[in-house]
Amino acid sequence: MSVSETDSEVSARLELEQTQRSEGWKLLRGLLRDQRRNLLIGGIIGITWASFKVAIPQVTKFAINNGIEKDGPLLGWAVTIACLGVVTGVLSGLRRYVAFRESRWAETLLREKLFSHVLGLDIGYHDKAQTGQLMSRASSDLMQIQAFIVMIPITLSNVIQIFAVATILFITDPVLAIVAMLPLPFVNISARRFSNRIHPISVAVQAEQAQLANVVEESVSGVRVVKGFGAEQVQFDKLEKEANDIFGEAMKAAKIRSNFLPAIDVLPALGAVGVLGVGGHRVLSGQLSIGDLVAFNVYLTLLVWPLRNIGMIVALGQRAAAALVRIQEVLSTSSEINDPAVAKTLPSAANLQLGAIKFDHVQFGYDPALVVLKNFNLEIAAGESIAIVGATGSGKSTVARLLLRFYDTNSGHVFLDGIDIRKLRLAELRQQIGVVFEDTILFNDTVTNNISFAKPNADHADLERAAKLAGAHDFILQLPNGYDTVIGERGFSLSGGQRQRIAIARAIISDPRVLVLDDATSAVDPSKEGEIRDAMRTVMSGRTTIVIAHRPGTIALAERVVFIDESSIAAIGKHDELVATNDRYREVLASMEQSKSQQTPVSAK
Amino acid sequence: MWHAGGVSDEDRLSRAQARTIIGRVFKMAAPFRKTIYLSFACVIVSTATTLSAPIIVRHGIDAGIRAKNSGELNKSVVLYLIVVSFTYIFGRLLFVFVNRTGESFLRVLRLAVFRQMQRQSMAFYDRNKAGVLVARMTADIESMSELVQFGLLQFLSAGLMLTFAIVVLLVLSWQLTIIALIVMPILILASIKFQRDSNKAYLVVRERVGANLSALQEGITTVRVIQAYAQEQEAIRKFKISNRSLFAAHEKSVRVSTWYFALIEFSGVLASGLMIGIGGWFVHRGTVTLGTVVAFVLLLSSLFDPVQQLSQLYNTVQSAGAALNKLFSILDSKPEVDEHPAAIDLPETGELKVTGISFAYAASPAPALEEVSISVGVGEKLALVGPTGAGKSTLAKLMARLYDPQTGMVEFGGVNLKMATMGSLRNRIVVVPQEGFLFNGTIRDNLRIARADATDAEIESAIAAIGATEHFAQFADGLDTQVRERGSRLSAGERQLVALARAALVDPAVLILDEATSNLDPGTEAEVEHALERLMNGRTVIVVAHRLSTVQRADKIAVIAGAQIAELGTHTELLALNGHYAQLANAWALSHSTN
Repeated sequence: MSVSETDSEVSARLELEQTQRSEGWKLLRGLLRDQRRNLLIGGIIGITWASFKVAIPQVTKFAINNGIEKDGPLLGWAVTIACLGVVTGVLSGLRRYVAFRESRWAETLLREKLFSHVLGLDIGYHDKAQTGQLMSRASSDLMQIQAFIVMIPITLSNVIQIFAVATILFITDPVLAIVAMLPLPFVNISARRFSNRIHPISVAVQAEQAQLANVVEESVSGVRVVKGFGAEQVQFDKLEKEANDIFGEAMKAAKIRSNFLPAIDVLPALGAVGVLGVGGHRVLSGQLSIGDLVAFNVYLTLLVWPLRNIGMIVALGQRAAAALVRIQEVLSTSSEINDPAVAKTLPSAANLQLGAIKFDHVQFGYDPALVVLKNFNLEIAAGESIAIVGATGSGKSTVARLLLRFYDTNSGHVFLDGIDIRKLRLAELRQQIGVVFEDTILFNDTVTNNISFAKPNADHADLERAAKLAGAHDFILQLPNGYDTVIGERGFSLSGGQRQRIAIARAIISDPRVLVLDDATSAVDPSKEGEIRDAMRTVMSGRTTIVIAHRPGTIALAERVVFIDESSIAAIGKHDELVATNDRYREVLASMEQSKSQQTPVSAK
Repeated sequence: MWHAGGVSDEDRLSRAQARTIIGRVFKMAAPFRKTIYLSFACVIVSTATTLSAPIIVRHGIDAGIRAKNSGELNKSVVLYLIVVSFTYIFGRLLFVFVNRTGESFLRVLRLAVFRQMQRQSMAFYDRNKAGVLVARMTADIESMSELVQFGLLQFLSAGLMLTFAIVVLLVLSWQLTIIALIVMPILILASIKFQRDSNKAYLVVRERVGANLSALQEGITTVRVIQAYAQEQEAIRKFKISNRSLFAAHEKSVRVSTWYFALIEFSGVLASGLMIGIGGWFVHRGTVTLGTVVAFVLLLSSLFDPVQQLSQLYNTVQSAGAALNKLFSILDSKPEVDEHPAAIDLPETGELKVTGISFAYAASPAPALEEVSISVGVGEKLALVGPTGAGKSTLAKLMARLYDPQTGMVEFGGVNLKMATMGSLRNRIVVVPQEGFLFNGTIRDNLRIARADATDAEIESAIAAIGATEHFAQFADGLDTQVRERGSRLSAGERQLVALARAALVDPAVLILDEATSNLDPGTEAEVEHALERLMNGRTVIVVAHRLSTVQRADKIAVIAGAQIAELGTHTELLALNGHYAQLANAWALSHSTN
């Protein structure tokens, strides 16, 4: 919160928080509404359980008064109590089952909702969002909500139990009831306070543990530096500090526990002391039976857990509310890029070469104040290949992102085969564009699934054709399980070049009209660049292709070069012409060339 | 709490292992033995007071109420109040002492394991994956913190409570004790089965939570690809599969607990039913008093709760045992490269001489180097080239004693590196790894990695020595700029500059460089080259080279192929040989011409 916040800003913020909170609860209500039948069943089970539970000490009391004290028959009482035990046992198990099952189900559905929503949000959102934060929405925040939901049926039966017990106690002996229950509200208050106090400390302990993990992680990953400089002591000192911090926070937590937990345990015992003292004298004066006295003690123990639980659920509810607000914040974000209300379709004439692209007076900036492309006009004929060249940060990758509608232009239009791409359904547009990203992103999945990702219904013939065109078929067959080999971060590790070729196969499997190659050679061992370029050349032929060139060698693949400098097209033409006529072009080329030659390895990898 | 631990079958300890571990834990906990004794004392007092309450109640009922003696009743009430206060006071102390003991132990354990990890040589780090080592220091130690916070306390008090309760019950009435214990076998058997089943279910849940998180993360990090290919629906469908299978695992684990909790509840009520039925019959026959039966009904929970608690702790204890076992095995591993007891300081300068060394990594039987000899004179520059895996990096590492050779020796100024003090070794010979690895902290902190006692002036002059003063002066916070995790705030080139400044701070006689193969931003590339040149000036240099420009600058080039030095000489000499080196140079020329 900034100090300079004005009153109107404060009230606006509070209002926003208020709406978010109420939206959050609305979200929870909506979720629970769908499960209301089962939750109701859970509630009924809980209430029934509570009534039986409360009945047992009553029966025990009668058994003592009538059975034992008055020498009555005992077997009946014993059997009755045992039967009650069966009923409460079954009900208590069921109550637990329903509560946990329903809370997990709500959590599961909410996680799916969150995932689907996030996946549909525009790339501009993802640029700003942190993966870690989204992950914690879908894991720890959902856990808070689950922990709250699970308590709902339990709380319901707890409330009933408290009321029933209190009623029985008051009917039996109002004076004694007051004496016995006097300390109990403090159990509830303490439980709530405890939960609220211990929560921030547990978070702090976790934060300290994360810091210690960082020190260990960097000491292990950077072991060559540590060993190379003999920096073991330096790292040890850092670790010792973190270990001491953890110890400090843990002892704070211990302090809080020692302040609350023994007190919570002991408060009901104070009630029991009162029962013995006051109740005992009332028995002596004949106002109460011994059975009642015993029952009082038993009832007191029945009140302890419900009161603790209710204290806890208040604290849990506060945390769940905060989590709900955070989740609602994500869910209420709407995508900036959407399907049009009325969509056109792309022409699909068989006799026509398709894939003509036109950028018409396009202006764009990721931040509207910082223009990346201005007055950008470019026509690419169907089947033509162009290379986009520019210095780092010149906006050459932006061109492809606009074509994919990862972002919308600030002004101006982009056309594919004569149709404004904003008039097309996103899926239709994107299915017609095959992209190979600069940093090849593959999934932790089989080669087959990675390639057919762009066309899930592809058959094996399609798959092989794409792999062959991309020059990937041969090495795929060499993999341990061929096309069924699991690759990616946790699978078989491929070389940069192999990854690129799989990405190229993925880009062409659905035979798109347009191919975008964000320099597929830049992450590759230079000695393998040639192979990638061969694959690129094959897949480009006869297809509209935009090559975003980060290396000089890639430029040669394209028929025309579009040179972007200072946010707009500085020149268009053949590579040789530009080299001959444009100083700035030569300069940019030279900087690429230089960083390249210094990287050329003499070791054959 | 009901599925706290989680331990897979292969991690389960044998009885002998468990005994050793317990012994070692006590040895490690020796420094805070006093707190442990105090904890024990508190447990005993608070258990005794908790248990004495029902006895006092019995006295109040039998000697006070039934005997119509209000004096006895009042005495009981006062005594009860005293006992309750004691329970409270000792309960508080107990929390403090037990937590202090446990957390102190974890702290000592963290420090000891980390210290031992730091002492290990590179070979240890080759054998153990980084992730596993981090897990030892984090997840494995943290898995014990629940035990420390609640478990230990529960274990002690539940154990004592059970023992005391049985003793008290026996004193009150042995007949009723037998009745109370009738349901015990059912309870114990059920608890054991439950622990086993819930452990199994928990392991499945844990695994699926991990898989679900990975699926989630993959979805978020690959969103650009998913959207580019319009495969959102497919991605959601796949995520749902993982998400639903996680739900199924949760559901299964709840089901496991359902019948158990039902049974627990039932057996408690059943026991009091038996007490009323049979106990009442005893009262009728005059064997026991009514007060005794009442005390028994009240004491039943003191008997059942500890059994339940102890069985629930079973898994927590098991998994803590498994974690300790892994941690102790780290504490037991001997560092392969260690300082000799009679080590001496290396001379200021001298020739670096390798004589007939052979070396094989533990992981592979094939030798990485065989009978290699080479010497590098003072101020000489040696480039090591060769195919990946031929042993050039290994040779460089042996020259800095990151490993010890199996045979042969490495000498500096006539002193065998094995006989040198670690301090002097790291001061004379410095390795600058391929990528500038930075630690969380400021640039200054990162230089101090090399020399913890360096003054600010020394740090600044190290930066100046590599000509990077101006570059870092551009930063708003200068050398106090936080580099963030892994130095992510800085560019690759800037990280490399910091790494070179580190070496300059040490001012070593010998510099061992592993040249970077990856891209640097063109802006700082030149600066790094320049810094490297200044750093190499006047020092003995061994460089694992990947660039022709570097090789050409070297005084001599050693081509390592097949675990041996295949060729040795200058650039021109080796080209003339028309062997390995000429081939490598050709490959370079070829890849250049395709541009």
